[in-house]
Amino acid sequence: MRNLRELAIVAVGAAFVCMLNLHAYAQAPISDAAADINPPVANCNLTPDTAPDPHDQSKHVATPIDSKLLTLGQPCHQVVSQKGLSTDALANLQRGFDFYSWLTFIALNSPADGETIGQGPRPGGDAATKWEALSNYRPLAAVMLEKGSEPTWGTRIVPELCKPLDAPGKIILQLGEAAWDQPFKTGPLIDQNGNYALFDILINKPMFDFIDDNGLYSKQGQERFDRDIVFPEGVNPAANTPGRMGAVMLKVSWHILDPSSGKTLMRQFHTADALIYFPGPPATKTGPTCVAKTLGLIGFHVGHKTKFAPQWVWSSFEHVRNAPNEKQVAERDLHPPYTFFNAGCPQCPNNKTPPSPWDPPASLQFHSNHKSQVIRSIIFPDAVAREVDDLNKRFRTLLKGTVWENYMLITTQWPSDAQSKTDCNGAPMPTFLANTTLETYSQGQVPLASSSCMACHGNATTRHVPAIASDFTFVHEKAQCESDFCGSPAASKSTAGTKRCGLGGGMPQ
Amino acid sequence: MIDFTRRKVLGVAAGTMASAIGTADLTQPAAADDAADLVLFVKLSAALTGIDAAQLAPPIDPIQIKRAYFRQAKTDPGFESLMQIVRANPADPVGAANKIMNSSNQQIKYLGRSIILAWYLGAWYQPMVLAQTPPPSPVTPLKVISPTAYTQAWAWRVAQAHPMGYSELRFGYWSDEPLPIEDFVKARGA
Repeated sequence: MRNLRELAIVAVGAAFVCMLNLHAYAQAPISDAAADINPPVANCNLTPDTAPDPHDQSKHVATPIDSKLLTLGQPCHQVVSQKGLSTDALANLQRGFDFYSWLTFIALNSPADGETIGQGPRPGGDAATKWEALSNYRPLAAVMLEKGSEPTWGTRIVPELCKPLDAPGKIILQLGEAAWDQPFKTGPLIDQNGNYALFDILINKPMFDFIDDNGLYSKQGQERFDRDIVFPEGVNPAANTPGRMGAVMLKVSWHILDPSSGKTLMRQFHTADALIYFPGPPATKTGPTCVAKTLGLIGFHVGHKTKFAPQWVWSSFEHVRNAPNEKQVAERDLHPPYTFFNAGCPQCPNNKTPPSPWDPPASLQFHSNHKSQVIRSIIFPDAVAREVDDLNKRFRTLLKGTVWENYMLITTQWPSDAQSKTDCNGAPMPTFLANTTLETYSQGQVPLASSSCMACHGNATTRHVPAIASDFTFVHEKAQCESDFCGSPAASKSTAGTKRCGLGGGMPQ
Repeated sequence: MIDFTRRKVLGVAAGTMASAIGTADLTQPAAADDAADLVLFVKLSAALTGIDAAQLAPPIDPIQIKRAYFRQAKTDPGFESLMQIVRANPADPVGAANKIMNSSNQQIKYLGRSIILAWYLGAWYQPMVLAQTPPPSPVTPLKVISPTAYTQAWAWRVAQAHPMGYSELRFGYWSDEPLPIEDFVKARGA
């Protein structure tokens, strides 16, 4: 009897431990405060790219890419497996991530009013997207405010000079250097009409709330913050635990459309009526002024911090008309018109930065007749390129007849060794990733010099001195100083005992 | 396990300088009949370098640097003879490494050394240059095998550091003690 009682106590204890383990994540368990920052979501998309064959469990079959996928929502974390359509585990994982990226793209670009993607009221079934709604995402310029002021979620900030031009449905795009200059200050991108391409960065509510709750929206706030910056992660629901979206950040690129002269072209792009605000020095040389433009979406980056990907998952899409790739150019397999390539001049120097000066005027027309001649470099292994091409064909067929059939996935970069202690970037796969509109001039395969989302973002820090690592995002660098006073560098904070990637633990004696 | 210490490796490489960077893309998948040899090459490399095979060539490996070094080594006339030694007893790569490093056949003996240096320095030292008596000073590599080979060279990790201009460590790592050497060269959980 006594032994049975002891056995029962052990069994109950074990069950209790199991229950606790159901709440264990790759990082620390979510506290009550963190749960508010990263609230449960009801509709995480759990669809994997393949499933076991019901007739032969040793094999996998592809998930049909059909209309069901258009309404299942956004994955809260990637559902991938080493088992799949190939005998190559890496290829199967890559396909899983690329499938996840397409589900993410469809969910984010679905109409903000809840309709199905491609069924909006505008030409090509276009509509204002979920990410353009201030209830879902916030532009970075409306987070890192003047004088380090605290931002307010959901509010629409219309600069005074933009008010005469304002109308319902217009988006506000506030310029700073990052809105027209490529990463590493490699220069602007000029389309075949001589117009600047424009860029914007947006963050979702969990990411916003982490910044807001921790005062990271000002330089001094970052100085006062005394912990590691660790954004909340997305996780799909499991037994007894809800799904949570985690931090998501977007970087989008636009080019300027002329609604009067390009009606056919308008049907091929997701468009937005925008008010482009030039704040004036020091943010822009021009201004203050505000201009109204119609923009066409040409590039779409998503960074999503998810379970098993503390280095985030990086998805990149672009418009099919942006530019040909180098194989197409070599084989003269060209399909003009391209937004950033003159098919009549295939031998023109390509991927070269424009001549200075670079700062855009209010017209957003480049000062000379220079037009960027862009070619997409082939930087992935052939197997990845083939798999992405196959997925693109299927998803674009699914979206046929809508503006969204004109967008393609470049690929997804993900940490192949997320738990590595010595490679804090998690051994990115593929090693390099570049978007022709967002990393035009850093396409290539030279480590650190060529574009890799994770290798670059792994170096991101806060703005204050001494800086600290800022969890794969450069948003903190945009924080302004409180009351125009930037102060002196703060005292170093001890990192003794902090267990972070790459550290042995403890300050040297 | 070959006792090929960091001191010995760095001693061989002391005074060298990188020459022209190889431009060929050496990371394309090997032909089907090379796949088995590639597996043996990695096992041999682990025995030669003292670094776990799971670190040299992880099961999920986006970089595939093993292919670059395999294909480079394959260009050497002694490669087939070297691989015959490994194939003769695939379950004993340490035994094969010993045979290679002590071989009376100079091509094989110094090809083994070239393979060690490829993994540690990301550069290709021609076996017959290494075999010269007396050795040239400095010993100049034929080439840095690729930009990726430069960043993946194990000398940096054995030194618990990183190449110039490239680091996989988190910002601020210099203010803390380095990770133990085992984290760099041993398989996780080993």
